[in-house]
Amino acid sequence: MNAISAQAAALDQPVPRRAPSVPSTIAAVAGRSLRDAIRSRWFVLYTLAFAVLGLAVSFVSAAGAGGAGLSGFGRTTAGLINLVLLVVPLMALTAGAASIAGDRERGMLAYLLAQPVRRCEVLLGVYAGLAGALVASVCLGLGVCGAILAARGMRTGAGSMLWLAGLSIALALGMLSVGVLISVLARRASVAVGTAVFTWLLLVFVSDLALMAGAVAMRLRIQELLTLALLNPLQVFKMWSLHAADASLDVLGPAGLYALDTWGPWLHAVFGGCMLGWIVLPLVAAGLCFSRRSPL
Amino acid sequence: MNRRRRAITATLVTLAALWSAPAAAQTHDAPAARPADASPRAPLGELGRRIASAPAGSTIVVEPGVYREHLTIDRPLALVGRPGAVIDGGGSGDIIEITAPDVTVRGLTVRNTGIDLDKENAAVRVLAPRATLESLVLEDVLFGIDLREAPDSTLRGNTVGGKRLDIARRGDGLRLWRSDRCLVEGNTIHDGRDAIIWYSTGVTVRDNHGRDCRYGLHLMFSDSVTIESNRFENNSVGVYLMYSTGVEVRGNRLTGNRGPSGYGLGLKETDRFTVRDNLIAANRAGIYIDGSPFTASIPGTFTRNTVACNDVGVVFLPSARGNELYENNFIDNIDQIAVAGRGDLSANSFFKGERGNFWSDYTGYDLNHDGVGDFVHESQTLFENLMDRNPSLRLMLFSPAQQAIEFVGRAVPAIRPEAKFTDEVPLMRPVEITVSAPDAPAGAPAQAIGAALLLIVGGGLVGLARAGRSATGGVA
Repeated sequence: MNAISAQAAALDQPVPRRAPSVPSTIAAVAGRSLRDAIRSRWFVLYTLAFAVLGLAVSFVSAAGAGGAGLSGFGRTTAGLINLVLLVVPLMALTAGAASIAGDRERGMLAYLLAQPVRRCEVLLGVYAGLAGALVASVCLGLGVCGAILAARGMRTGAGSMLWLAGLSIALALGMLSVGVLISVLARRASVAVGTAVFTWLLLVFVSDLALMAGAVAMRLRIQELLTLALLNPLQVFKMWSLHAADASLDVLGPAGLYALDTWGPWLHAVFGGCMLGWIVLPLVAAGLCFSRRSPL
Repeated sequence: MNRRRRAITATLVTLAALWSAPAAAQTHDAPAARPADASPRAPLGELGRRIASAPAGSTIVVEPGVYREHLTIDRPLALVGRPGAVIDGGGSGDIIEITAPDVTVRGLTVRNTGIDLDKENAAVRVLAPRATLESLVLEDVLFGIDLREAPDSTLRGNTVGGKRLDIARRGDGLRLWRSDRCLVEGNTIHDGRDAIIWYSTGVTVRDNHGRDCRYGLHLMFSDSVTIESNRFENNSVGVYLMYSTGVEVRGNRLTGNRGPSGYGLGLKETDRFTVRDNLIAANRAGIYIDGSPFTASIPGTFTRNTVACNDVGVVFLPSARGNELYENNFIDNIDQIAVAGRGDLSANSFFKGERGNFWSDYTGYDLNHDGVGDFVHESQTLFENLMDRNPSLRLMLFSPAQQAIEFVGRAVPAIRPEAKFTDEVPLMRPVEITVSAPDAPAGAPAQAIGAALLLIVGGGLVGLARAGRSATGGVA
């Protein structure tokens, strides 16, 4: 609220002749949204939960290794990937879903749009601010895990932690886009958050279980299985982080070998393209809906 | 076929040899000619002439310099290179052929063989017993050292570097064929196809280092072989024993052997084997057991090994029976024990007397503090069972759906699969194992740097937001 009043005050005082430039408007909205997010309860809770669970994973797996100086794709990285897959999409989806819809319910959106700003600037600003908060949360959570692992003498590859963090951020951005889209479409905040949780459930469990059932019951061919899996951003994140951070994709059996064989050096591009699609397309859709339909 | 061309080539080779002879200490980088076909009948170079005129039992010292020659050593003598002595094959044929017993070759660099797989172009080929090859550096070679019916030979401290070709076009870095009682010690073999031992009894392979090959070490029909303190890493297969009897594998490090058939240690129809004190880590499959032991009444022994961080710890084919695994550490393998296809492991035992193995996924406890868990260790997760039956489901590894399935498997006994194996006396602590093979050099603490970077970025963002808030608050 402070930020808004400050902004309103700033707009009142000098009576600008020109409308403020697009980047500065976005930055102002983003700054307000970042501050709101970081001081909100969900940010603190998710970051704490992420860090604590990550710590548990790190401690347990470091204890199991028996100090044999082992390097390899063990349960540590697997555990961290698993954790990211569970927590980060939930965090991003709910944060995105609560954003516009919440502002709308509180009357904040009407206030914001009454300023000389374009709708898509507001949307982008909200997105950027939430993205900043998510980046902070992921970095803090994984950074704590990495520090613990380093202190306990795990010898994983040089950049593997950074890769994992970068890809987690990419996943968070993609899920945030979806969340914002839900938020723009939903009429009420509670509906938006509910839909976000349902989407999370769909992506995390239902689609994978359906794929597995399909693989067993319908005898899907390897390439069909792989293509279907690539539609799920969570699977893209998982495969990409396996490919980039630590192990080779052959961990994933025949499908992984098929991916390695067919795309080889283009794998980063393939995964990157899929992820980029999940970041950009929902955001564009959200932008279109937000500027076409009556936002209030 | 083309006599005239051949004659010209031969003349050029002779000229090159004559030119290089008086000034052997100089290095002539520009080859005078690239011989299309260097047969043993080609005119002799300087070294060739010295060998031809040397009495049996003498020592020929090779001064530094590059010798573009193909040598045949047909009498027992020693060929000893001073540092900087290089024999260059000019990209054709074999380079040194030894046809007499009791020959010693030491301290030379031999490089640039042909790439003809049909003729098996080798840097050093030995066709007679009791050869000693020491401190040789073989570079850019198709086959490195090729022993054919050369028993009682010693290969020590050599380095063999293969040609950077597609794996199917490479040759074997080391090959022993019907060469009993050889000693292979302290060699380094990289970028070759296989290091392979055929039909040779009583060979000792010790302190070698093999990397980036197809098979680090491959035994075919070779009995009473000792494989000790070697390091095999980043090959397709670390050590593969086939159709051999009486093999001892101890103190080796087999790590990072990956690919579609990536195994740390594979055993096919091998008998009377002992595998102990090895570290087998980060392979696609740590140990692969196919029809071993061949004679089920003589147990195969796996003890005091650390099998860690592999995709699958041990893969059994359904035909495997009569193996005893005890006092091993199975740590953090994604799938600790797998049976390829359907089948069970009831014909193998996972404990001996009161000592089982250490399993990092054991969930029991030890109330009486005797070091042995109070409950049996059974592996029966539903997802592993599904993966064993339908390998394409491995795609779903590490996803939360995997945990969901395993949870369902635990919660609903009706669909819980049969236990693959039972360890009745699982150990509570890892067995202390000293692996005699040297450890790979440790990497820098890059993890700490990465973690610090992440913390700085995260903390910075939060700090920025908070600082911005208080600043605007102050203004307002």
